[in-house]
Amino acid sequence: MRKPRTLARTALAAGAVMVLAACGGNPTSSDSGGGGGDTASGPSAAEQLYEEIAELSGQERRDRLVELAAEEDGLNLYTSMNADMVDAVTEAFTDEFDIDVSTYRAGSETVLQRILQEQDANFAGNDVVETNATELMALQQEDVMAQCASPERIDEVPEAGKYEDWVATRFNLFAPSWNTNIITDPPTVWEDLADPKYDGQLALELGDYDWYMALTGYWLEQGMSQEEVDQLWADIVDGAKVVKGHTVMAELMSAGQYGLASSNYTYIVEAAMADGAPLETQPYVNPIIARPNGGSCMKTAQNPATAMLFMDWLLDEGQAVLADQAATPSTVDIESELIPVDGQQLLDEGAEWSQRYDDLLSGVETIGG
Amino acid sequence: MLRIDNLIKSFAGEKARGKKKDEAGHSAVFAVNDVSFEVKEGELFTLLGPSGCGKTTTLRSIAGLEKPDSGTIAVGDRVLFSSTGSGRGVNMPANQRGLGMVFQSYAIWPHMTVFDNVAFPLQVRPRGQRPPKKEIAERVERVLATMQLDEQAGRQATKLSGGQQQRLALARALVIEPPLLLLDEPLSNLDAKLRESLRYELKRLQRELGITSVYVTHDQVEALALSTQIAVMERGAVVQLGKPREVYEQPANKFVAEFIGTSNFIPGTVASQQAGRHCVETSNGILFLESPHHLPVGSEVVVSIRPEAVELSTASKGEQAANEWTGEVVARAFLGDAVDHVVSVGRHEIRARVNPSVSIESGTSVHLQLDPSKISLVPVN
Amino acid sequence: MTANLADPAVTPEELTRPTDGPPEPRKGRWRGPLTPKMFIVAGVAAAIGYLALVPLGYLVWGTFFDAEGLDLGSFERAYGDGRIGELWGNSLAFAFGAALLSITVGTTLAYLNVRTAVPFKALFFAASIVPLVIPGILYTVSWIFLASPQIGLLNAFFEPFLGVAPFNIFSLWGMIWVEGLHSSPIVFLLMVAAFRSMDPSLEESALMSGATRLQALRKVTLPLVRPALLSSVLVILITSLESFEVPALLGLQNGIYVFTSRIYFVLRSYPQDLGAAGALAVSLLAVAVIGVAVSRILAGKGSKTYQTVTGKGFRPRPMDLGKWKPVVGVGILFYFFVTVLGPLLVLLYAALLPYYQAPSWEAFSTFTFDNFVQVFEMNSAARALKNSLILGLSAATIVMALMAVASWISIRSTIPGRGIVEQLSFVPLVIPGIVLGLSISFVYLRFPLPIYGTLFILLIAYCTKYMPYGMRYATTSMTQISSELEESAMVSGASWWTTFRRVLLPLLSPGITAGFIYILVVSFRELSSSILLYSPGNEVLSILIWEQFENGSFNVLAAIGVLMVIALMVMVTIAYKLGAKVGLRED
Repeated sequence: MRKPRTLARTALAAGAVMVLAACGGNPTSSDSGGGGGDTASGPSAAEQLYEEIAELSGQERRDRLVELAAEEDGLNLYTSMNADMVDAVTEAFTDEFDIDVSTYRAGSETVLQRILQEQDANFAGNDVVETNATELMALQQEDVMAQCASPERIDEVPEAGKYEDWVATRFNLFAPSWNTNIITDPPTVWEDLADPKYDGQLALELGDYDWYMALTGYWLEQGMSQEEVDQLWADIVDGAKVVKGHTVMAELMSAGQYGLASSNYTYIVEAAMADGAPLETQPYVNPIIARPNGGSCMKTAQNPATAMLFMDWLLDEGQAVLADQAATPSTVDIESELIPVDGQQLLDEGAEWSQRYDDLLSGVETIGG
Repeated sequence: MLRIDNLIKSFAGEKARGKKKDEAGHSAVFAVNDVSFEVKEGELFTLLGPSGCGKTTTLRSIAGLEKPDSGTIAVGDRVLFSSTGSGRGVNMPANQRGLGMVFQSYAIWPHMTVFDNVAFPLQVRPRGQRPPKKEIAERVERVLATMQLDEQAGRQATKLSGGQQQRLALARALVIEPPLLLLDEPLSNLDAKLRESLRYELKRLQRELGITSVYVTHDQVEALALSTQIAVMERGAVVQLGKPREVYEQPANKFVAEFIGTSNFIPGTVASQQAGRHCVETSNGILFLESPHHLPVGSEVVVSIRPEAVELSTASKGEQAANEWTGEVVARAFLGDAVDHVVSVGRHEIRARVNPSVSIESGTSVHLQLDPSKISLVPVN
Repeated sequence: MTANLADPAVTPEELTRPTDGPPEPRKGRWRGPLTPKMFIVAGVAAAIGYLALVPLGYLVWGTFFDAEGLDLGSFERAYGDGRIGELWGNSLAFAFGAALLSITVGTTLAYLNVRTAVPFKALFFAASIVPLVIPGILYTVSWIFLASPQIGLLNAFFEPFLGVAPFNIFSLWGMIWVEGLHSSPIVFLLMVAAFRSMDPSLEESALMSGATRLQALRKVTLPLVRPALLSSVLVILITSLESFEVPALLGLQNGIYVFTSRIYFVLRSYPQDLGAAGALAVSLLAVAVIGVAVSRILAGKGSKTYQTVTGKGFRPRPMDLGKWKPVVGVGILFYFFVTVLGPLLVLLYAALLPYYQAPSWEAFSTFTFDNFVQVFEMNSAARALKNSLILGLSAATIVMALMAVASWISIRSTIPGRGIVEQLSFVPLVIPGIVLGLSISFVYLRFPLPIYGTLFILLIAYCTKYMPYGMRYATTSMTQISSELEESAMVSGASWWTTFRRVLLPLLSPGITAGFIYILVVSFRELSSSILLYSPGNEVLSILIWEQFENGSFNVLAAIGVLMVIALMVMVTIAYKLGAKVGLRED
């Protein structure tokens, strides 16, 4: 058992591999520079193609993209759409163009992290990204995406869904929903959530700070003072329960754990209703808080023509597919009033709003269950 | 056959497994302190001593399970360990020493059958030296037959009785026909009766096989009964080395005398000495005795009187009788094959073990005859 | 008596001849560094170091440094919160409560299962593992359905008798109850291994000395399995401190926040504050390092004390419960119904419904197999199952093989720095899953071999993540093996590797099997790093489960849970049957 050198040293030496691999800068600092996008070598091949195609429009554009895409190698899509939705979308796309789509699905934060990691290592993993506004704003800041959808289609999208490097493909609608067995007089305006009659029946979601931010902004815009808004929130939170996760939120509500959910995604509630759950979201409480979800092409796309074709299609024929999946397509007019969640504001003030929402919720009084 | 020279092993810095405190409560710095001895072909050599005396560490050093700090260990002309010599010295790993060892707990592998346990040492030989399967089977069966375990060969090793497990451990150690067999308190886990029968069994086997053995024990009866040579160890050092009778009858010091058997110790001074015949003055009177120590007149000594060296009688042998003291019986105990008496003589209480035919009531005054050939002198340093 | 053995005239020369005497010394009498032993030991140490230091380095770097250099701002962001004391208080109460409960439950069940002739053995062995199989979120939600004051079935059942709803799952006690029960299989598996390796006569002799059964348990049995108990406490404490699922679902309703909620918040917004998450993880790391050190000291003290697998063979035979048999039997049935069957039935019930509703004839009339059909119709279900199986089996095998050697290094060797190996192997336990995933993708995106985007990168993540558990299982068993069993093999001439393979490995098998089962089962649930690292085509089961969750299909999720329980129970049974074939056998 005589050892010429210590194990500790062997073990530590192994770690050096990692350190060597990491000598490019702090791995966790988010601003360490997007990979392919901002390299000094000028526009990438994909970017050149995007510019070239941008000249074209209408059927000519579509034909040219189909032609180019045929020579490419399928499509790599990173998205935070849920499984049912993305399956429907990719199936329809494949049916139409006979192009295979490989999909990476994860939560929006994970999609963002994955792309940042890959771009930082100059690894071109995806051609298209489709996810939430917050994460898209972060990617826009990293300068790794290129606006590639057809300008004609982008024009169909409301202002709240148009950004420099990306465009909204659908909206996630936040609206109150309720269990019809428990709540007989559902809220009609957001202020109703503060009504003491809902004490013990109202549930808030732990992560919905974007909804909180948008609703606060709306109230202030309506001319309420900061104090009034704060009081309103305090009254809402008073007697409310906090749950984590929108799915659990809907499930527990249909089970009767509470009667009213402040801010669930309408598509989740509608899916439960389709199964026969005693839930309802309509008539919608106006205005609906809408968070844009959108997409864009990557500057490093290996299949840029396919990427463009996909974005064009998703804003065109694909919109109907999204609608079938209980999503709210971005190019279709909605009758209700929409209050968009501002992507730029989320990016700039997200952390602050997250903290405020956290503080607000943890002031929740202890109630008897 | 086995030669150990100047073996030293310290505890310093190393959390040695054998570390124990000695009786005085302070831990010795040296587990083994300059130990040298030689074991001749066919001998059963015993390392005897209390726990913590270094006997097990010495044995484990021979086996290659401990690495001594310095010294030399050689079996025949093979040097197993040497801190000196050419280059970095020699430290042959345990698995290349080719010795047989029986552990205190037998160390029988509980997941193997009896047969597998014994076959293991043959099966793990390096390729080329490994006997063919058939030969392994034959040799294992042969050893098992010797140990009267042949009927248990297919059983799970854990299902053997204590004595059988002990024999299995021995079989496993012997199957490679090692030049040297190491035994680490192999009988200590058995009950008294089984221990005695196995002790003779062990002695018979050792004789018949003529196998050179080193035996570690803290049980002096076992040591005296089995050994050709005994090395008594104390605090890492060998304090006396000799044949069982020598060690018993002529203990080199008080520790040995005390450790081996019970003894009565009477302090005194050498009054005269001529050619080993000593006359010692004690508070109870003069004692004549033989001792190889040749101590000069005036030396402070302790006289060690074994209980069985004392004869008791109610009548005196006459006024001229040498080595006769008088005293009074204060207690007695019947032991079956002997009767123990405690006799108060002057300031001392002397234990006497006599034939059961002699039994003297407490309170009786008695005469003690002390056999000069059975009294030994223990020098006081 | 044969000539060979009996012949006293054998000379030393004859005895040392190569064919019959001791084997010839191999070249180079000092073992050089290139023996197979050195190769394996150094290889394992390097593998552990690598697996542990990749995420640790990433975490430390992100926590202490920013683009400009050393920066401790992340600590302020993590701990600057005014409520941090309250958060930690809740966390500690929760973690200690859960640890206490899971250790009591796990140890009791393991003891009864291994050491006594308990009735319904087969039934409750399976039952003890079920909570391990059910994903945390499903297990927690089933408890909401059982013990919520509003909709809990148990409350509905008892309320007419008691006048009040007796249970409130939305409380600290509820959190402890669910987390403790959900973690108890970790303890159960560890303790089963420990009890299997214990000589019943140690306990019997205590009984013979006049001790009552409980005294024997307290004074003899439990002290002897202290290393296993310590390991359990350590693992459960840290996993409970890290857990967010249970506190989020059960605690938030009543404003019980734990410190992991901070991690949730700092990782939620963009840019993700990995530094602050790391700063919080540093606390856990400190707890872990101290915990491992303490357990090393305790296990080192009189290390022989815990060596219950000795060379004096013993028969692991079960003890008769005597008059207690019916009592224990009823207790076990009760446990089984309350903690296993209850949640499982609720899951099954939910899986048969299109949406959850309280049981009624009306509800029963809507029973449908649609949810199960949907599972089987899922595009990638078969592929994901295959991938999960490959990953689970490989990760369990690799980790347990590495950890078997590592436990030898840590417990048996005298190699300098051996303690570091144990510490390192424990590190991944405190690394948040997302950080683990990020660090691994960071390295393999830059690694010259094309590992990124393959199943292999998931395998590396799984091996890293489950290394700490594997190490606990392996060291617990290793401490129990008497060192003389190893030494006797060495003296018999076996090389280190042969000794390891033929003596230690079979004796380690109770721990190895338990660890294998644990890793196999929980790897099916691993999501936090899988979701970042998988690639199209490499989906695993946990990703599918997550997707159902995102879809809002809770009832389909319940169906998956029920199917997973069935599938994994079959696998666990097989693994245990195989594990029982090697090593210590029962009568």
